[in-house]
Amino acid sequence: MTAASTNATAKRGMRLDSDKVLAAACVAIPLIGLTLFFLYPMATVFLRSITTADGSYGFANYTEVLASKGFWRATQNSMAMGVATTIVSVFLGFIIAHGLHRCAFRGKWMIRGVIVLPLLAPSLVQALGLIFLLGRNGLVSRAIGTEVDIYGFWGLLIANTLYALPQAVMIIGASLVLLDARTYEAAEVMGAKPSRQFRDLTLPAIFFALLNSAFVVFIITITDFGNAAVIGGDYSVLATEIYTQVIGLRNFNMGAVVGIMLLLPTVISYVIERQSMKRQQGRHATNVQRFVPSFYAKRDIPMAAACFAVVAMILAVIGVVIYASFVKLWPYNQSLTFKHFDITLAGGYDSLWITIAISLGAAAGGTFLIFLMALGLRRLSGGISQMVQVLAAMPAAVPGIVLGLAYILTFNSTSTPLYLLYGTAALIGIINFYHYHTQAFLTVMTGFRQFPMALEEAATTLGAGLGRTAVNVIAPFVAPMLVAVFFFLFMRSMVTLSAVVFLTTAKLDVAAVTIMRLDDAGLTSQAAAFSTCVMAVVCLALGGMKLAIILMTWAPQTSKEG
Amino acid sequence: MYLTVKNVTKRYGTFTALDDVSISIEQGEFVCLLGPSGCGKTTLLRLIAGLTDIDEGQVLLEDEVLSDVPARNRGFGIVFQSYSLFPSMTVAENIGYGLKIRNVPAAQINARVAELLEIVKLPHLANKFPGQLSGGQQQRIALARAIAVDPRVLLLDEPLSALDAKVRSSLRDEIRQLQRTLQIPTLMVTHDQEEALALADKIICMNHGVVVQAGTPEDLYYRPATRFVADFMGVSNLIPTEMVRREMPALLSQRPDAPDAQFDACIRPEKIQINADPRGSATIRSAGFLGNLTRYKLDSVFGEMMVEVHGPQRLTEGQKVSLQISPSDCTWVVNDSYEVPQ
Repeated sequence: MTAASTNATAKRGMRLDSDKVLAAACVAIPLIGLTLFFLYPMATVFLRSITTADGSYGFANYTEVLASKGFWRATQNSMAMGVATTIVSVFLGFIIAHGLHRCAFRGKWMIRGVIVLPLLAPSLVQALGLIFLLGRNGLVSRAIGTEVDIYGFWGLLIANTLYALPQAVMIIGASLVLLDARTYEAAEVMGAKPSRQFRDLTLPAIFFALLNSAFVVFIITITDFGNAAVIGGDYSVLATEIYTQVIGLRNFNMGAVVGIMLLLPTVISYVIERQSMKRQQGRHATNVQRFVPSFYAKRDIPMAAACFAVVAMILAVIGVVIYASFVKLWPYNQSLTFKHFDITLAGGYDSLWITIAISLGAAAGGTFLIFLMALGLRRLSGGISQMVQVLAAMPAAVPGIVLGLAYILTFNSTSTPLYLLYGTAALIGIINFYHYHTQAFLTVMTGFRQFPMALEEAATTLGAGLGRTAVNVIAPFVAPMLVAVFFFLFMRSMVTLSAVVFLTTAKLDVAAVTIMRLDDAGLTSQAAAFSTCVMAVVCLALGGMKLAIILMTWAPQTSKEG
Repeated sequence: MYLTVKNVTKRYGTFTALDDVSISIEQGEFVCLLGPSGCGKTTLLRLIAGLTDIDEGQVLLEDEVLSDVPARNRGFGIVFQSYSLFPSMTVAENIGYGLKIRNVPAAQINARVAELLEIVKLPHLANKFPGQLSGGQQQRIALARAIAVDPRVLLLDEPLSALDAKVRSSLRDEIRQLQRTLQIPTLMVTHDQEEALALADKIICMNHGVVVQAGTPEDLYYRPATRFVADFMGVSNLIPTEMVRREMPALLSQRPDAPDAQFDACIRPEKIQINADPRGSATIRSAGFLGNLTRYKLDSVFGEMMVEVHGPQRLTEGQKVSLQISPSDCTWVVNDSYEVPQ
């Protein structure tokens, strides 16, 4: 093209390259967002924690909190609950993951399907289900005729375990998949028995995954608010303590102190988890031969039994919530009805529609911002890019309840124009995005890393600028990742409770908070009905995502006609 | 000179990938950058394309300094080893992409794409996606995509290395023919000396980030400048000067006047004549049949030697032979490890 050559000649000389400007903008815009909606609120919560009643700075709040019996009890309870849940979840998670990947039995699809259910519902659904099963009027309690006291430690332990189990299974499963079948064949030929192979090959290889899953479960447990609020009873934990301080006693500074205290263990766990993940990544072998287990009765029958028992429990807890939402008068009149779906609490289903709108907004806006950021990072030099990546990965270390607290302290203050956002649905969408920023960012970055540099260079050499390359070449390549992130943000926004519980107002409620209020008001069946609706929406979204990804992987294999 | 690279240096930390490199390409010329992996040849190609920044030196196209021109405005074409077709676009969309960016009307793009598909002999694949094509087909399309925009320079980065032997040789011939017809100045990176010999008008042999020798394929094969080039461009017998002086002083006639250790004798295996001779100074150690020729390994006064003779094996292992070498077939090459005394 002669046009191209004259063009190039004309643009000779020192000048600001439009691509570099675009790349800088791509990073700058999401970076401003992270600063305003993550760093600034976190700084505010810290400042508030050291602001004393008379307005001066000092650690008086800390000494007051540390001296209070309630705080120590909540801390002790949180730690005990975290450790207990971690032990049980990692143990069960290992059994299920090992059953799925290294044992041979039928019906694994059922296990795979059921195990993710707790992620599709607000965390308090586990607690709700347990109450329907084991509470005073629970199905099981009535069947065996004795009264179980489900409120408190044991109920919360079961609810938390069910909630954390999917994560444990996924993390441990991911490391089991990576084990190379050939090393086992070599061990077999050398005469190692299965038990020896397990001890010498499997355990060392999945050690970091076990450690990692333990940290993840621990964090989820000590920061979860929904289960503790519904089934915790008198068993106070740090997450509920913050809520009591802020909403119950309007004691914002003390709430901030407890928030900072809760931040400590999660940040430490998060740092250790990131380190162990890095170490594990170094061990990844390329072209792994997948292990295909063959049936071995002594191992597989007990493993299958254990797996199905756990799955049955999850199914029972969630199933009973759906069932109860149709029962006329729990537990006395078991005939079925739709009357509980007629929500009598003020606002009715308004909060469900608003939540869907908020979730769509958070998902669309969030996916776009993260795409921009990942795009810009490709063109940025190492040092800056590294810093931005560290910042983008930070929100995962902050528990939802602490982030929520930080938001109310930041946006409920009239000293900045950001106050305009307070009480709006937009702010709830924003907090949902930044709450789950890290996972979304890492997913998209994985996609970008798989994108071959040569494709981008081919487009550049053909004359495409960054914008054009992004739309025509990069976006189609990372599209499955973007779809996954969109639905991830949507589904999380639909069910999250801890981050948004502080931001809802009398006029603006979200679905998970409505469920909590219905339960608080004693309208348990309506709470179940509302939960069922939320789960239905999330399941639809999950189905939509699967369909979209199938369609996308299918499309490039069929030729276009015409 | 059409494309000129002047005194270019590129460093990665403490590692110097290119050290004061200068090369040039004439209008319509096919130039091969040849060298072992890590010699800097791909870095040089990427600097020319504008995909990597230059530390020192200049790249010039005729009189235009390219250093500040971003890759997308250079109007070059590039083909990578990894095909690198856009997976979400059809074959036709891939080929037409560069024209689309240049806002060429759709009808014109379609005509050009059809023409190029004819040229690469794949007209039936226009609406397929890259994933449905074989490696050889993908690389043909990548080539069509690169030349669709009438590039000012065509850059080929090991375009044949990922293909299997048969496809490789047929595509090699096609690239050669295409380049001759279109007269696009072309720079190809390769580590395969056979490929370079078959394709290039000029070969630039590189090692450790510097140009060791540049010249026609015949120059590099028959008149290598250094031991490295002699070794890299096929098989050769390299003999130290004092051995030659002792055993075959006639060969010294062409030798430059320099210290013994600076130059070694280089004799290609096909340039040595051997005859059965019971009083010969060499012994056949082994023989390998290569089809059109036979390759003998000898134990001789020069140590182990390689000799190639046309036709089937006529000499047996252990047989004594005499050697005949004409002084004009003996090239004197610089010993790369020799350091000139200051």
